[in-house]
Amino acid sequence: MYRYRTLRRSLVTLLWIGVSLFYLFPYTWMVMTGFRNPIDTLTMPPRFIFQPNLEGFRYIFTTTGFQHYLVNSIIVTVSATVLIIATAAPAAYALTHLKTRGRAFLLVILVARMVPGVAVVIPFYLVAAKLGQLDTYHVLILIFTAFNLPFAIWLLRSFFREIHPELREAAIMDGCSELRVFGRIMLPLAAGGLVATGVFVFIAAWNEFLFALVLTNSQAPTAPIAILGFRTEYGTQWGAIGAAALLISTPVIVFAIVMQKYLVRGLTMGSIR
Amino acid sequence: MSMTGRGSQADGTAPHSTSWRPGTAFWFLLPAAAVLIVIYAGPLLFAFHASFTAWSLVQPGSDKDYVGLQNYEDVLGSGEYWNAVSVTLRYSLSAVAIELVVGTAFALLLNLEFFCRSMFRSLMVIPMVMTPAVTGIFWKLLYEQQSGVYNYFVTSVGLPRVAWLGVDMSLVSIIIMDVWQTSPFFMLVILAGLQSIDENVIAAAKVDGASASQMFRYITLPFLAPYMAIAASFRIIASMGDFDKIFLATAGGPGSVTTTMSIFAFKTGFNAFDIGRTTSIALIFVLIVLSVSAPLLWFLFKSTAAERH
Repeated sequence: MYRYRTLRRSLVTLLWIGVSLFYLFPYTWMVMTGFRNPIDTLTMPPRFIFQPNLEGFRYIFTTTGFQHYLVNSIIVTVSATVLIIATAAPAAYALTHLKTRGRAFLLVILVARMVPGVAVVIPFYLVAAKLGQLDTYHVLILIFTAFNLPFAIWLLRSFFREIHPELREAAIMDGCSELRVFGRIMLPLAAGGLVATGVFVFIAAWNEFLFALVLTNSQAPTAPIAILGFRTEYGTQWGAIGAAALLISTPVIVFAIVMQKYLVRGLTMGSIR
Repeated sequence: MSMTGRGSQADGTAPHSTSWRPGTAFWFLLPAAAVLIVIYAGPLLFAFHASFTAWSLVQPGSDKDYVGLQNYEDVLGSGEYWNAVSVTLRYSLSAVAIELVVGTAFALLLNLEFFCRSMFRSLMVIPMVMTPAVTGIFWKLLYEQQSGVYNYFVTSVGLPRVAWLGVDMSLVSIIIMDVWQTSPFFMLVILAGLQSIDENVIAAAKVDGASASQMFRYITLPFLAPYMAIAASFRIIASMGDFDKIFLATAGGPGSVTTTMSIFAFKTGFNAFDIGRTTSIALIFVLIVLSVSAPLLWFLFKSTAAERH
């Protein structure tokens, strides 16, 4: 019986090795493109085995100034994440634990969540252009913040809801102020949720392409925009794109794997645990 | 701190004044509300206003030129617009239908007993979290007709090259790309469903002599249905707004075969400089997505109302 079970497990494991190799092939190809000699990117038949080469990485940092884009991405993403958590946490707490006429607010943020990005960025572009604020960090930070705020509030609510309301009532009885209850009791208890929400928002802002494409030009473009510049009149610099793609996508993949426990909850805005 | 201190304010009533005084909740909600009103609602209202004008960036002063519903009539009467609606619906619905099947298959496979299970689950998540713009540009490389890897595989088994990004195939190709990217999401949600099935129900069915297929049909599937519905709703809504990976893989082409609503709104907005028309397209798009979202919105709203303390 025991040996039969081990055999069965081994066979399923083998099956999964096959499935994941097949399924992750496009990703593997991207990693290979980053390390392959750029000359060999388009050779036929394709090279699956080769001497790893850092030419693509060298090229993007010495010739294209990719570091400028990376720094922009870090500035914009980190600022937006901090701003989102700072505004979403008190709102989510109030909507969960305080008596409000907040039902309308809940409906508004849900509706706001469903508005597609392109419909948000076109009006925002017009206003930013009118105010002469295109191609700045703060414009990008503000739109990232506004776009992800509804999601963050909704997800954080699901974490604040796990905290017993009696805790607040007892603290208030003991003479604690509302602000103190929030800062000293609720925030520490919701720390895991704050981190999880922060990571989700970080991933969304880091991966964002459309807003940066529309709202920036030479000063504030983020890393995904850099890829567009690797398509020149002499052809596409696939080695450079591969190297840049690795640098852009590795941090979010690592974050997502670390936060796996919360992944489903985040993706369904807290409706499935 | 003492300003917010009095407990009686917590329930939003101000005992010592006849005029309305904002309660504690008001101050907690204020920063988020301010961001949403100024950054989100403001520009949308501005766009709403602009959609009733003949505003064009190449004609100074045209932003004061009110034309009533003319823009909306033009958009709704144009073949380009209906083409974009049709492409979007075909893209979203076919992708989600396939993702449900593929995601369920992966979830069932992952629910078996085997070694390194959590490692395989982590690996499968990679496509889902990868930067969509990066996904778009790499799938374009994979799809290349002459030097692409997919055609290398196709020709090495003796089949003719496929024009993956040609007129006939490109919509199918971006659907395949989305299936690749999004099936792991369905897998995770459905796996969460599988893992919450009551063991006793399964044990009882086994005792009653149910076959594997009967168990799947009459126990597993009905139990998973709500999970599938939630995943599909989230994804249909999100996929209608997909832009990055389609823009980088096909840019809406060839012609307009992969021009979804998002690509269409973007192209009209940033190639034609016709603000009145662009804003009306954007707003019609919002209305379409919101009407599709209505069931999910209702579900999320109702379920939180029920769970309030």
